[in-house]
Amino acid sequence: MTPRRTLADREEVLGGVMLAPALAYVILLVGVPFVLAIVLSFSDATAGSLRFGWAGLRNYAAILADPIFLRALRNTAVVTIGSQVLVVVLATAAAQVFRTTFRGKRFARFVLLLPWAVPVSLAAIAWTWIFDSTFSVINWTLKAAGLLHGWLYWLGEPGLALLAIIIVQAWRIFPFATVIVLAGLSSIPQEIVEAAIVDGAGFWRRLFQVELPLLLPVVTVAVLFGVVYTATDLGVVYILTGGGPANTTHVLPTLAFQRGILGADLGQGAAIAVFLLPFLIVVAIAMLRLARRAEVGAR
Amino acid sequence: MAKRKGIDRREFVTTTTGAAAAVALGPTIRIKRRQKTLKILQWSHFVPSYDGWFDKYAKDWGTAKGVEVTVDHIALADLGTRANAEVAAQQGHDLFQFLSPPGAFEPQVLDMADVVQEAEHQNGPILDLCKRSTYNPVTRKWFGFSDNYVPDPGDYLKSLWTEIGMPDGPVTWEDLVKAAPLIKSKHPEIQIPIGIGMSQELDSNMAARAMLWSFDGSVQDQNENVVLKSDHALEALEFGVRLFKAGMNPSVMSWNAASNNQALNARQTGYILNSISAYRTAQDNKLPVADDIFFVPALKGPRGTRWASEHVMGIYVIWKFAQSPDVAKQFLLDLIGRYRDAVLGSKLYNFPSFPGSVADPGVAVGQKPASGNKWLEQVTANDPFGSNPPAKLKPISTALQWATNIGHPGPANPAESEVFDTFVLPTMFANAATGRMSAKQALDEAHQQVKKIFEKWRSKGLVAGGSGDRA
Repeated sequence: MTPRRTLADREEVLGGVMLAPALAYVILLVGVPFVLAIVLSFSDATAGSLRFGWAGLRNYAAILADPIFLRALRNTAVVTIGSQVLVVVLATAAAQVFRTTFRGKRFARFVLLLPWAVPVSLAAIAWTWIFDSTFSVINWTLKAAGLLHGWLYWLGEPGLALLAIIIVQAWRIFPFATVIVLAGLSSIPQEIVEAAIVDGAGFWRRLFQVELPLLLPVVTVAVLFGVVYTATDLGVVYILTGGGPANTTHVLPTLAFQRGILGADLGQGAAIAVFLLPFLIVVAIAMLRLARRAEVGAR
Repeated sequence: MAKRKGIDRREFVTTTTGAAAAVALGPTIRIKRRQKTLKILQWSHFVPSYDGWFDKYAKDWGTAKGVEVTVDHIALADLGTRANAEVAAQQGHDLFQFLSPPGAFEPQVLDMADVVQEAEHQNGPILDLCKRSTYNPVTRKWFGFSDNYVPDPGDYLKSLWTEIGMPDGPVTWEDLVKAAPLIKSKHPEIQIPIGIGMSQELDSNMAARAMLWSFDGSVQDQNENVVLKSDHALEALEFGVRLFKAGMNPSVMSWNAASNNQALNARQTGYILNSISAYRTAQDNKLPVADDIFFVPALKGPRGTRWASEHVMGIYVIWKFAQSPDVAKQFLLDLIGRYRDAVLGSKLYNFPSFPGSVADPGVAVGQKPASGNKWLEQVTANDPFGSNPPAKLKPISTALQWATNIGHPGPANPAESEVFDTFVLPTMFANAATGRMSAKQALDEAHQQVKKIFEKWRSKGLVAGGSGDRA
């Protein structure tokens, strides 16, 4: 007698069933809040009430006329681009180091990965002390070494505060990018590198004319992840500067949080948060196209 | 060799389906509660001994009443976020304590009129300052119940001020401008002679209001009209610019709620506006600076006006969706009945919203407020927590003469809360002080922001005024 066919034997159904939890997760925890955010952005919802009315484009009109929002939009772009430029340079350099063999490599790799493993909020608190305008360890060290004659108010001056944010974001993302670039380096066919060496190419020529072009698709993916992580991050800016001094370092997530949650204006907060969407879509499409073109070109 | 027994696809699907069903259905199984419960959420107190006292009190109260009491503590900065989450989920704690008037949450909380009435019946009247922080005259609703307020005096280092000829500290705001260069010249190692924050945090919010009010300006008038744009406010702002140039540096633009405490205790500033928590921290950590920290009342403005906001105000709300509202109300009434212990548990940080609640035992209700005020004077004049000299805290016993509510001279309301929570005033001072804008531009910008906020809340019927708004 043949055993009864159960769900486990029906591959066409089983596939769907096994995919369902992941789909449900994405729909419930990403899709629903996302749709809710769009709905709220067209409403006059406030934090202390569950009822809300239709506000049309009023929230969008209000934020577009708001210089603090425009500054936050610009800051989001500056922090994202600035940190990713740093990440690409640092990750490429670190990957070159880690592909060689040296004593203590395993320990160094562990240390390298720490920033990725440490919770963002915890790391940001540590950085807050490092950049503290009164007690900054950087300032005291530079002073003791005779390299600083004035004083750097890291989090108290807009330019320096933005630089501090870029540094922390780069520090946070660069281990992940290094691992990706390292994986990309190991996938480059050895014979191509050897051919370049035979042709007399030195280190820099090999790096810029052989390895980096071949690494472009991989680096693009690393940067894409970095862009998404940085542009959507609330923790670093919120803990480091809270958007200050005088609202000059807000990025879109912190401004959305301040207006929507702390200020209780959910409608406007949602409108600010939704502005991230076109920004990220454009970036994602552009980078994926670039990666695809690079892949096709490589073939 | 025997084949290792693995798990086949059938078993895998059966097992994982069963486990998933158990996980999904588990939370829906209701276990009948054996006794009443009370869930309380409040901040991690700046004076940690209060949390120890409160948690034990709550536990003992629960044991005596047959109620299972849970007390959760979170950081001050997380209260707003948590409140939003509880409202959105329509579940959470029965008692939720805010530290500034939670006007925006009025539609989601029970009217506390009956609790206030009963507490007044037992202890005498609530302070006007606390009433104006918890009662909305537009909707005639008590949207919160205040158990305490915290005075916000000036904290100064006596040795520094003695060296510059002002041993009793500053009396007027102008004294700060005069003192700053003198402190700097005698002590170049002190980075910030005067430590008034202009950042996006609690203490800067309070300091900005103290400055504005003492110069006879305000955000709203008594009838909730927006009157920020005024000559007096401009005068306050121009003073803020002078004060910044004379005695501060850009670090005050990046301060968090702990920064002024840290600067004072590290002797990096000579004056801050704060509660006594910085001092208590120095005492607890046995820092030598503790004996050098002294207090002054709110500073006077150019016409002698003297106001400071309460540093924080403990305000409990009971959500409409609370599981045990009656138990929560009883807990509050009993807590007020033990408020002398609470004040001592906080090492004189919390001051009672019902002065009669700290009266001597056995005093008739009519005499309770006077008795309570007398006890506060005595205990601050002879600090039982090791102050040197013991009368060091005496200036804070006068707090009722100069402490007022957020929204002064009008009531607290959701618009004032949003102005407070989005840091409009400290940002206004920072914009002017750093020269990013002229004082007039900074004032204009803040006024327009405030007007928009008020208009929004008026449209929801929670704020009065409007006809008298300045253009």
